[in-house]
Order: sequence, then structure tokens, then C-alpha cells
Amino acid sequence: MRFKNRRFDDADRVLNIRDLSVSLSGGHQRPILDKVNVTIHQGETVCLVGESGSGKSVTSLAVMGLLTKDALTVTGGVIDLEGQNLLELDHKAMRQMRARRISMIFQEPMTALNPVMQVGAQIEEVLDSHTKLPPREKKKRVVDIMNQVHLPDVERIYNSYPHQLSGGQRQRIMIAMALILEPKLLIADEPTTALDVTTQNQVLALITELQEKHGTAVLFITHDMGVVAEIADTVYVMKDGQIIEHAPVETLLRHPTEEYTRRLLQAVPSLIPRPARERNGAVEVLDVEGLRKVYGIRRLFSRAKPTLAAQDVSFSIIRGRTLGIVGESGSGKSTVARCIMRLIDPTEGEIRVASTDIARLSRRELRPHRRHIQIVFQDPFRSLNPRWTIGQSLIEGQLNYGTSRSEAIKRSGELLELVGLPADALKRYPHQFSGGQRQRIAIARAIAMRPDVLVADEAVSALDVSVQAQVLQLLDELQEKLGIAILFITHDLRVAAQICDEVVVMQHGRIVEHDTAANVLMHPQHDYTRALIEAAPGRHWDFANFKELEPA
Amino acid sequence: MLGYIIRRILAVIPVMAIVAVFVFLLLRLTPGDPAAILAGDMATPEQLARIRESLGLTDPIHIQFINWVGRLLQGDLGTSLISNTPVMSMIGSRIWPTLQVGTLTIIISVLIAVPMGVIAAWRHRSWIDYAVMSFSVLGFSVPVFVIGYILIKIFSIELRWLPVQGYASPSDGIGAFFSRALLPCLTLATIYVALIARMTRASLLEVLGEDYVRTARAKGVKEKYVLFRHALRNAAVPIMTIIGTGFALLISGVVVTESVFNIPGIGRLTVDAILARDYPVIQAMILLTSAIYVFVNLLIDISYTFIDPRIRY
Repeated sequence: MRFKNRRFDDADRVLNIRDLSVSLSGGHQRPILDKVNVTIHQGETVCLVGESGSGKSVTSLAVMGLLTKDALTVTGGVIDLEGQNLLELDHKAMRQMRARRISMIFQEPMTALNPVMQVGAQIEEVLDSHTKLPPREKKKRVVDIMNQVHLPDVERIYNSYPHQLSGGQRQRIMIAMALILEPKLLIADEPTTALDVTTQNQVLALITELQEKHGTAVLFITHDMGVVAEIADTVYVMKDGQIIEHAPVETLLRHPTEEYTRRLLQAVPSLIPRPARERNGAVEVLDVEGLRKVYGIRRLFSRAKPTLAAQDVSFSIIRGRTLGIVGESGSGKSTVARCIMRLIDPTEGEIRVASTDIARLSRRELRPHRRHIQIVFQDPFRSLNPRWTIGQSLIEGQLNYGTSRSEAIKRSGELLELVGLPADALKRYPHQFSGGQRQRIAIARAIAMRPDVLVADEAVSALDVSVQAQVLQLLDELQEKLGIAILFITHDLRVAAQICDEVVVMQHGRIVEHDTAANVLMHPQHDYTRALIEAAPGRHWDFANFKELEPA
Repeated sequence: MLGYIIRRILAVIPVMAIVAVFVFLLLRLTPGDPAAILAGDMATPEQLARIRESLGLTDPIHIQFINWVGRLLQGDLGTSLISNTPVMSMIGSRIWPTLQVGTLTIIISVLIAVPMGVIAAWRHRSWIDYAVMSFSVLGFSVPVFVIGYILIKIFSIELRWLPVQGYASPSDGIGAFFSRALLPCLTLATIYVALIARMTRASLLEVLGEDYVRTARAKGVKEKYVLFRHALRNAAVPIMTIIGTGFALLISGVVVTESVFNIPGIGRLTVDAILARDYPVIQAMILLTSAIYVFVNLLIDISYTFIDPRIRY
């Protein structure tokens, strides 16, 4: 693993945050940020890491002067940008700072661009707000920066709307917008989290390239230690609104001093697959044969081209084992999961659940079979009805299949204990739980039906690594106890390595590789699989053991 | 986009056909002899026979329908039983005052309500927001005729700035037109201002929480552009829907205002026709209002594709 071992002691200080404190407006609770100190030099990349709620984003928004006014207030400290305290600037002066001296790019390129405005015009708006260039000059500057961020076919993209571009292209537009006026400081808040690994790599390389070209200081916020290992010069670790440790990247990854940092690093799932389970019994509980799904509506006066979302997909899972489907967005992995759940109707193929082909059953015929196969979704904040108590959510499925009310409630209590929550959680509502707890509830709801197969669609992707590790552990234990088969859909190779016995790699709707997890991850046969593994950030570093990975 | 617009226009045909069948049956399915209903209690058998003949009631019902639709397509809506003039020309002379008052009302409403809603959303939970919301509740709850009479009392009787009642065509002079149209339009506008301001506020509040609004601010865009260029256009679809539906409601619901302000529009024509049981005119009014609804909805649907490039059905 090669770290950026650069020194910045002699470089100019661009940003110097001293004792910054932020509180909830009007609240007397503990502060959201508590005396935060961060220094960034010209050309330096500082990574701010921490779990959700640690105050990373609040720090960055405070620097931008974009804290939600009626919710958060700065209660003390200094934000010094090249000798100027940003906290003392009035509204107008602060507005003029943005994009000229400090810029920001955000996590979700899907939502961060105005959907009803052409992207060229959105970049141009930066120039309109801060310069008085003639139209021809403006267009030239915009085209120039679009070339610098390596967008293809610039003329076409200039006139495109965000929804016509890919996620990676949209993030390039954001970067172009942020850097067109060559600011001193770029704040990047999880800019690659929503992107596929290969796109993530390209965007990280682009930020590094432009940073070197313009000498920009970068404050990079992330929860992904792999990304940290790749790009950071200096790392600051945040917890509960405080900076608890900061050090050059290699020092931090080799010799973390704080217990919290050690735990954070140890929770990073390893890319080395866990040993596969015994194949005892070998009862096939799910068997998919020649699955195919075509989207596309043909109508009068519209020639929508049909989209092939999945083709020739065949695999089977036996009791007590886990099969992972990995692939990037658009690879068809979620389409397969939804077909298997019959949330959408497959175009062709067989789906045998407990030896019944359910691919073509009508809604009514399907009903008795639904209980054999249950799903856990990605976003625990949206998959539970916010107006229902946990108890109501847990008993609903059981009541549908004829369990009596009192029995369903009794079982729900047991289920909560099984997933590690207190039984009195039954009377509470989803918003009273954390993301990890909600995902446990979602799992409890799924296994309440005593299914043969549990489909987990990116079920841990929205969780912090430490919580992720606990939920993966829970799935593992449930599988031991109940002998349930798991179909685990993920884009994250590290997670796949930790939970899967077998792995299927999908690309463009087809399976390109299917083997044991060990073979797929350690000896990939297909070029695409190899590309995926090579793109995984920090893949040469063994985070949990604070050292290089031993070559296998 | 063209394909979508053509599909939307074609979809109008079955809707209007169903309306036509309903309107046709309205008279034929009323209990009793339509001719007797039309002729009233005092009719002689000869009169009845003549009416039957003139309405084509002696033919089988499907032939009657085809003939009726055939005439309809040629713009023949029948003849009024009372005034004996073609219904088409009656509507032709009455529709302009209604359309003028309706359009002016909507323009006034939008000009007042949209900025009100935007500012209320921008200054969420401030006194301005509460003032706008209170006005909105008031606008909903006070009946139109009460507002009408209050405005007449203030501006016509006390201040003597505007005439009490009546109508002048714009061809008689723009000043005369506005001085007479202003009060009825303001009266009608109260409820639409309330409605549109509320919708604008709600829709904008949602949009102001979006990531791209934060992006715009992070770019250093001036706040007025953040609000009107970025936020408002994204919030526009529900606002347009309300404006369009409001306009259609307005045209078909002018009965009260036209009576209060004595405007010779289709609202009064309808009231007179119903009181006199002038069936051909009633039929024509139902057809006309349905057509206005369908047409306005068509315009709203098409406007969506211009507001939001992602909309392609």
C-alpha cells in the first residue's frame, strides 16, 4: 500500500478552524460540535472520518455558512480562511466567498443538481453570480472546465438535463461547478459514496488531478476507510462532535492511539472471504432457471426501446447457505431480487421456491407461497411505516397467514429478543430507533414468517461500518439457528466477502461469474470481476490488523 | 414530446363522446314525454305534435342520437325554446364577458398569490408566514357574495371609486372595462389567492429542502434567484394544476358573481335557462363547461412537459 506521505509544514495555511462549537438553536443540550480544531494547508487533502451523527457534515456546512438557520447556531470559535474569520462576515460577503474562495460538492449527484435546468446553464450560473464576463467568454470558460473534468462530448452535455447523464457524469458537473473559479478550498462531502466503485475511482483520481493542478486544499468527508487510505494526507477522526484524534494517514492506520479509532478500523470488513459453510443436507430452497426481464412500454406514438434488465439468470441456494449477487448499479441485481419476490413479473424463466414454480402464478395463487420468501430492504428509514408501532409492523404478516393475534404478539416479542432488541420495543414507533436497530426490526419482520429464503437487498449498505458488522453478525447467527438460506444483494465486495458462501457477479443483466466466494474474490476469472476488485479502494491494506495485507 | 401531446389530444375524444351521450340522454331519460316537458303544462296536442316533430322524437333513439351528434359537429346546438334564437349565437354573445372576467381574475390571483406563497415559504414560521396563512384561511371561509357586497360597500358606495354593477366590453374603452371588471375580479380572486398562495407555499417548502437548493446557495447564487429560478420552477407542477383547475371552476362557477355584479355572461344565461326550463340551452351549457374543463386540463398536462423535462408519459 502506498500512502501519500507528503509534508505540508511549510505550505500556507488555507483553512484554520479553531474551537468551533455549534449547538441546536435555543436548545440547552450537549453541543453538536464541541471545540473542533482543523487545519488544512495549500494542496493538502484532509479526510474527516466518523460515523453518522458525529458532526462531519455540520463542520463542513458551518465553513460554508450553510447551517440551517433556525436549527443550528455557531456558539463559539473561529473559522479562519487565509486570515479572514468567516464567522464575522455578513450575508452578502459570505455569499461572495462561496464558489470563489470555498466550494463544496455533495454526496448525491442525483439530487444535487437542479433537475429542470440544463447542466451547462447551471455551471454558467456560478459565473453569473460572481463575475461580469461577456456571454461568449462565459461559454468558453464553461466548456474549458467541462473539458478539464474529462466530460465526453461537451457540446451535447452542455445542453443536457441532469437526468440524461450518468451518476459519474453528474458528479463531474458538480466538480466543474465547484472548481470553475479556482477556489482555495474544496469541501467534498462523501462525494463518491453514491457511486459505483469503478466510477468512484475515476472521480477520486479527477479530484486529485485538479487539486495538484490548481494547488487546492481539500476537506474530504467520508466514512469509507478504503477511500481514506487512497487519498488522504492527514486524517481527523470525529466522534460525538469532537475531534478525538488526528495524524498523517499512514501513522493513523498503522498506530491509531485512541480506542475508538481502533474499533472503527477493526470494523472495516476484510476483502478476504470467510471460510464457506458445510454443504450439509443440500435441500434446494430456491432455484432460479433462465430468468429474463425486459422493461419497455410500447404505445401509440412512442417508440420506447425495450430495456433488457436481466437475461439467462440461473442459480440455486440450499438451506443454511448464503449466495451473494454483486454488481454495479444497472447490472440487474435488484431486478433479479424483485423478480424472485414477485414484486415485479419476470418476462421469462422459472423461480422455484420450496419446489413450486412461482414465476407465473397469479396474485391470488401466489399468496400462500409468499411466506416462504421474505425481503429486507436497503433503507431502514423508509421501509417501516412511520405511523405504526413496531408491534403492528411485526404482527401484520403473521395475521395475514392465520396466526391469532395474541400468539402473533407473543412471537413478535420473542423475535425482538432474537434480533437483540428489548421486548418492550413493540409499543414504540420507528423514529425512536437508530438505523441499525430499525434494520434489526426489518429482519425480525422478515423472519416472523418462518421463511425458507431471506432476500437482503443492500440490507447493510446504509449503515455505519460498526453497525454493519453487528447486522452481518446477526444474519450469521440467525442462519445458524434457523437454517435459513440468504440471497444477499450488494455492491460492496468487502461485505460480500464477509457473509457469502457463493458469489454471483452480474454485469449488464447477465451473470459473468459464479463460484465460491473464495474463488471469485481471490482468483477471479472474468475481466469484469477483476476490474471490480481492483477498483475497491484500500484493497492492499488490512485495516483490522493495522498493516499491509499479506499476499495470499 | 410531440407524441405525448398528440396522445393527450386524442384522449380528449372519448371523454367528450361520453359527455355528449350523457347530455343527449339527459332529456330523453327524464321521466315522461320530453315534448310535454318542453312544452309545459298549458300546451295543446297540436303544439305537442309540432315539438315532437321538430325535435325528431318520432325516430328511433339511436337515429335521434346520430342526427343530434351530426348537428352538434356542424356547430348546431339547437334553438332556444324561449327566445327562439339559435343557442350557438346566444352563447357566442355571452361567453366573452365570462372569459374576460375569468382570465383577469386568474391573472390577478397569480400575481398576488405566487409571490405571497414564495415569501411565506422563504420566511417559514415568521410573522409574514403566519399572516399569509391567516389570510388564506379567511379567503377560503368567507362566501363570495359576502366579499362582493363588502367590496361594493367600500369602493362603490363609500369611496365612490368604482361603479356598483354592470359590464363594459374592452371595445368600449379599456378604462371603462377595467373600472367595471375590477370589483368582480377581486371578489372572485380572494378564494383563488387563498388557494394558490397555500399551494405555492406548501410546494415551495418541500422544494427548499432539496439538495439542489443547497447546491445553488453553495454556488453563491443570490437568494432571489435561488427562490425564483431554482425553487419555484421545481415547485411549479402542483401550482399549475391548481391554477388550471381554478380557471375551469371559475368559468363554470360564475353564476353567483355575475348575478351580484350584473354581468351578462354565461353564468346568468345558465340561471335563466334553468329557471325557464330551456333544455337546449341547458344541454349546450353542460357541453360547453365540460369542454372547457377538458381543454384546460389538456393545457395543464401539456404545460408540465415544458416545466419539467423529465416528464414524458
